[in-house]
Amino acid sequence: MENYLSNEFGRSGPLLLAEAQAKGRYVQAKRVFTSLTPEQVVDEVKNAGLRGRGGAWFPTGIKWSFMPKEPLKGPSYLVINADEGEPGTFKDRQIMEKDPHLLLEGIMIGSFAIRAETAFLYIRGEYLTAHDALATAIAELEAAGILGASAFGSGRPMRIVLHRGAGAYICGEETALLNSLEGRRGEPRPKPPFPAVWGAFGRPTSVNNVETLANVPAILERGAAWYKTAGTAQAPGHLLFGISGAVERPGCYELPLGTTARELVEKWAGGVKGGKKMRAFIPGGASTGFLPPDKLDVAMDPESLRKEGTMLGTGGIIVIPEEVAIVDAARVFSRFFRHETCGQCSPCREGSAWSDQVIARFQRGEGRNDDFALLEEIMRGSKQRTICVFPEAFAGPLGSAIKHFKGELVAASAERAAHPAGAGGATHHG
Amino acid sequence: MAELTIDGRKVEVPPGTNLIEAARKLAIEIPYYCYHPALAPVGSCRMCQVEILDPGKPPRVTIACRTEATNGLNVSTTGKDCVAARAATLEFLLANHPLDCPICDKAGECDLQNFTYRHGHGAGRFSEPKRAKLKHEPIGDHILLDQERCILCTRCVRFMGEYAKSPSLVVAGRGDRNVIATFPGEPIHSNYEGNLADICPVGALTLKEFRFKSRVWDLDSTESVCTGCDRNCSILLETKRNRLLRVRPRVNLQVNGHFMCDVGRFGLLDALNPQGREEQGFVKGARVTAADAVAALAATLAAERGKWLIVLSARLTTEELLLAKTVLGPLARTLAYVPVEANGGDAILYTGRAAANAKALERLGVTALDEAAAAKLLAEPATSGLLSFDAALAARLMAGTKGKRLALIDVVAGRAADAPGAPHGAELFVPGTLFSEKDGTFLNLDGVLQRAQRAQRWPQGTIPETVVLREIAGAAKVDVTALVAKPDLTFALLESFGLPGATLAQLPDDGLKLAAAPATAGAAAGATA
Repeated sequence: MENYLSNEFGRSGPLLLAEAQAKGRYVQAKRVFTSLTPEQVVDEVKNAGLRGRGGAWFPTGIKWSFMPKEPLKGPSYLVINADEGEPGTFKDRQIMEKDPHLLLEGIMIGSFAIRAETAFLYIRGEYLTAHDALATAIAELEAAGILGASAFGSGRPMRIVLHRGAGAYICGEETALLNSLEGRRGEPRPKPPFPAVWGAFGRPTSVNNVETLANVPAILERGAAWYKTAGTAQAPGHLLFGISGAVERPGCYELPLGTTARELVEKWAGGVKGGKKMRAFIPGGASTGFLPPDKLDVAMDPESLRKEGTMLGTGGIIVIPEEVAIVDAARVFSRFFRHETCGQCSPCREGSAWSDQVIARFQRGEGRNDDFALLEEIMRGSKQRTICVFPEAFAGPLGSAIKHFKGELVAASAERAAHPAGAGGATHHG
Repeated sequence: MAELTIDGRKVEVPPGTNLIEAARKLAIEIPYYCYHPALAPVGSCRMCQVEILDPGKPPRVTIACRTEATNGLNVSTTGKDCVAARAATLEFLLANHPLDCPICDKAGECDLQNFTYRHGHGAGRFSEPKRAKLKHEPIGDHILLDQERCILCTRCVRFMGEYAKSPSLVVAGRGDRNVIATFPGEPIHSNYEGNLADICPVGALTLKEFRFKSRVWDLDSTESVCTGCDRNCSILLETKRNRLLRVRPRVNLQVNGHFMCDVGRFGLLDALNPQGREEQGFVKGARVTAADAVAALAATLAAERGKWLIVLSARLTTEELLLAKTVLGPLARTLAYVPVEANGGDAILYTGRAAANAKALERLGVTALDEAAAAKLLAEPATSGLLSFDAALAARLMAGTKGKRLALIDVVAGRAADAPGAPHGAELFVPGTLFSEKDGTFLNLDGVLQRAQRAQRWPQGTIPETVVLREIAGAAKVDVTALVAKPDLTFALLESFGLPGATLAQLPDDGLKLAAAPATAGAAAGATA
């Protein structure tokens, strides 16, 4: 299957509307608005087996089918989660910076499918370039009358509201995002009610990831059967794999789901930088945790990674070279998650901080034997015990470091206790 | 109704009831911090975790506060997973808690202490440096915030927004840097601030007025009602060695829900600890014992029957008002009361009418006179003087009148120990008593009759109003046998309203809601209707 997501990624600036239309952009959106029903769109996406690229891999068509079929006493909304904050993840950014009209066409089709006339595009606050590209693209669409009172002359109004986040990882959680969008504190909401019932501004809402929506025009253009020729049976299509860390050619690679991590790292990213050995890799963003190099042949799809006790997540691979100690890598993430938990649930607020303090002690050479039991208890006391899955996120690197690298953690602590001024150099305080 | 099973016991509750309240009905404790019956549940403290048992499935741990009771639901509060989850939550909450219970005002009534004893580990494993945050930070006129003791349940934040309609508290920061805070330069400005100390489950929000005053277990707590306005919120008067140290609301869903206002709370703290209280009687400028003052007053009223304007006060208990009406009615030229206009009330609890028992005066059919009418009546030649149970009102009525005599039965504070002359120059002064020094009832604006129990001793030398009235009845030969033959005055009162009699002790804890007064009994009450 030829690439359908990353064709414009080589550009220096965003593809503008005239050129995008010359390349066929908005043909599908126009067809949808003028000749299809929402059910037909939902069915096509359902049949294609498209699953959410934000990390949870929930089937998009099914999510859309939860939305009210007839407008109730008020609007339904599409909210686009462009708060790409998972460390190691930079795929949505490429789409928005280089090919904003690909996303916007997906948004229009998705809005049509759920009978929404307004879409809120919540973009990560730090993504200024992407924000400007989208703002320009939306203005182009409004000037062309594609967005406005009657999209494509269909009589159906359509508008897209661009909203910048204010810099919180937790706002990538869909209900925290909704709170933030509404001007509230970015804290996840207890569920139920789910967004399809009580979403943005109390209205039925579908929250979809950028890359997910970017898949939709191609599905409408070429059909579900075509879409399923790539990827795995349970997770068809292409994925934008981000590869970062110690590799020769870090970047964003469009490849079929199910491609092995080894192919991604060795063939596409050119292997570990400087020909060094790999200490560990992270398969799908920080919260998916560490895997040892002997797991490189795992297929990068949700089901295969679940069998390894981890997740595909966002597909953002981070390669950690041998000169970086696991304890230092783990500390980077424990600090990150401690910093980013919203803190509303006691186990997550306290557990993320406490575990970071324990890892910090290991980093300083002050680890103790009973700390592993303690860390396991912290994870057990917080995972599945809170409003959202943030404890699962901070337990990702923590739990995998203990599972796969316990010996290294003990050795590193002992080594640093013996040589306080020695390796690592990290002197962060808990 | 939904029938569900909790710990093997069946209970029926209205559908939609959460599991905490359903369990409460069975006297099964599900501990909680962020939940509060008067606030929307947020489910963030994770203390109320229980297990849902479905046949053929492993127990599912979930939070009770946001789980609704449904028919057939099977809940365990004792399963090992939920017990472990609650213990884990407590260990998390205690990790950075300063554990300064020995100097904390909340100790003894702290849910962090109590639940740790009942649901926590015996020992903590946290050995890292504890977080340092702000301590004893004033955030309003009455409340001090200790961010280190705070467990971030956000009850206070939600109370100010949802209940007090004054969203002045926020969670600032993120993660373990979260703190409760006001907006910069904008302290709490609310008539409901005092409630924060009550709803705070730990010692993070404490009252300046109670700070370091007493260990809570040394307080004597008495059920009473607030007399700050005619809402009559159910309260507890908490005293130590006869001194009132704290006033707290008591749950009464038909009167005040869970809260009370600051006008009442802090007003009572002043009013019931009167400084410079006049505790002796006066007759014609001379200090006498209260008993002698009562005797002189009784003799005067008996001798000058039909010449005095007698003004009752809504500060008196319903029983006192009944007796006063019976005894003084035949003696007075006019027996009346002056209705109090609302001033500064709000749409929550506070009515702004500083007349706790106004409804009782109305219901007893005492004549309502506004101040101008009362002053006019007093100025008439046929009126020889004014007997008032309200010294401040009497002073106003006397101000524009010349040559009238004044008798007072009231609590007067702010006097020097040996102040010469009677308060307001009264010819006769009888030192009255506070409602907290007597047993009695108050009838609130919605017709709920509630008991206010005696919480303090009256000072030696003062005489309760019922005794004063009985003395007057004796001297003036007013027959009160019909009243005193009853089991008690409350019984007589209810009978006089045409209701089945019940003694004071038989009144329900949350009061007796009286049916609306029949038209005839309330005929004289039009002035305040």
